[in-house]
Amino acid sequence: MISPTLIQAKGLRKGYGQRTVVDGLNLDIREGEVLAIIGPNGAGKSTTLDLLLGLRRPDAGTITYWTTDPSPHVGLQLQSTPFFAGFTAIENLRMFAAFYGKRLKDAQLMEHLHRCGLEEFAKTDALRLSGGQQKRLAIAMTLVHSPKLLFLDEPTAALDPRARRDIRELIRSLADKGTSIVFTSHDMEEVHKLASRLVLIRDGRIIASGSPEELLSQYGTASLEQLYIQLTDEPA
Amino acid sequence: MWIVMTTMLRSMLRDIHTLVWNILFPMAMLIGLGLYFNDAAYSYRLLGGVLTTNILFGATMVTAFNVMAHRNRGIYKLLRATPFRTVSFIAAMTGARTVLALLVSACVILMSLFLLGVKLSLTGLGLMMLVLLIGTVCFTALGFLAANLSRDENNVNMISNLMSFPLLLTSEAFYSLEHAPNWIVTLGHLQPFHYLVDAMAIAMHPQSNVSSIWMPLLILAGFTILILGAAAWTFRWDAEQPVRWKQGAARKAATM
Repeated sequence: MISPTLIQAKGLRKGYGQRTVVDGLNLDIREGEVLAIIGPNGAGKSTTLDLLLGLRRPDAGTITYWTTDPSPHVGLQLQSTPFFAGFTAIENLRMFAAFYGKRLKDAQLMEHLHRCGLEEFAKTDALRLSGGQQKRLAIAMTLVHSPKLLFLDEPTAALDPRARRDIRELIRSLADKGTSIVFTSHDMEEVHKLASRLVLIRDGRIIASGSPEELLSQYGTASLEQLYIQLTDEPA
Repeated sequence: MWIVMTTMLRSMLRDIHTLVWNILFPMAMLIGLGLYFNDAAYSYRLLGGVLTTNILFGATMVTAFNVMAHRNRGIYKLLRATPFRTVSFIAAMTGARTVLALLVSACVILMSLFLLGVKLSLTGLGLMMLVLLIGTVCFTALGFLAANLSRDENNVNMISNLMSFPLLLTSEAFYSLEHAPNWIVTLGHLQPFHYLVDAMAIAMHPQSNVSSIWMPLLILAGFTILILGAAAWTFRWDAEQPVRWKQGAARKAATM
């Protein structure tokens, strides 16, 4: 059975100056799935996320959401660490809860920090946390309003193996609880472990789409990394 | 919005830069210059100068740095993905800065009453608070504008200095422009800080005709609306978005 569609993008096109970054992209995001968006640097992954979230206006194409205003139901983690300078971890969390109209008590905020393994850093300046802790705090900030759909832009980039493992476990536990997740990554092992479906973008277009197993069998490659290299090596 | 404003205010009161530049520096300046000149008549100009300069630099520079840092860290981009309205965020930020400015001003006024022998009426105090309120909103908006036109720390420093220092130098915050060249006096009359200083001087001086405050206050309010409009028009959500007038050029290039 196919799950209901949360977001449907048709013919999306976006350019900056003379460069076309997203070029006629069609994409569905379904309820309960973990969708990986992969592709080389500059392929248009982050711009695609921005377009799907309504942060940038497409030059052409349409995006249909499952609800009239998806913003209260969507969480977003950016590649940067968007913390307020001088704010502790718990204060950043309180701010973002307020942005979603939630007035959370300290105990509830601590629960969110605990979920992301950060309870002992509640009173630490967020900008002084380690890279892995900052990523986990950024994810905790996306979860304060219990979103239905989560967008994670390279959640494990530039992290050590232990921090990467912790974040993968966190993503897996969220997916197990029914949160739909869209993430970008350059780590094919991670994509294989987490994604129920993936789309490979190149030059702003989807060149492959399906579950990891489907794609491996379709292209006859042993690993997603091989598949990625094979498809991104071919001339456009 | 209340949570956002109070959390910001708490953080400002903990911030070492705010403590030094926005709280300790104006107090030290008032005591240092007040005791050095030891002149009752100058004490009024000094108090007005310290209060208004603190608004000019505290609101403009600190806001410019904060807004640019928020934008470059992606906070505005993230904020845009939430249901929280940006105008509410800007209002909360301006509100926190206004509360801080009023608290610091109250401390500076108290010090001037006890240490410099300045005498203020209750009406004068009320009017001073009104002037400070409008002034803080005006120069916080100028801080937003400076940040909107800047790319990074060096840029924001230069642009906010380029905006603030001419305003200070062509005003009568610390000295009279009675003998200055006409063009400097004319320039002074074309900028908002002049009217902030003017309104403050009228509000605090016991011999002033209080009804004469409304004209500089109205002009200051007019500048506030103009600057707020310019700040809203040039507002940038993220660091990759070009400065407003370059957006047109980018679109033109795209259609070529």
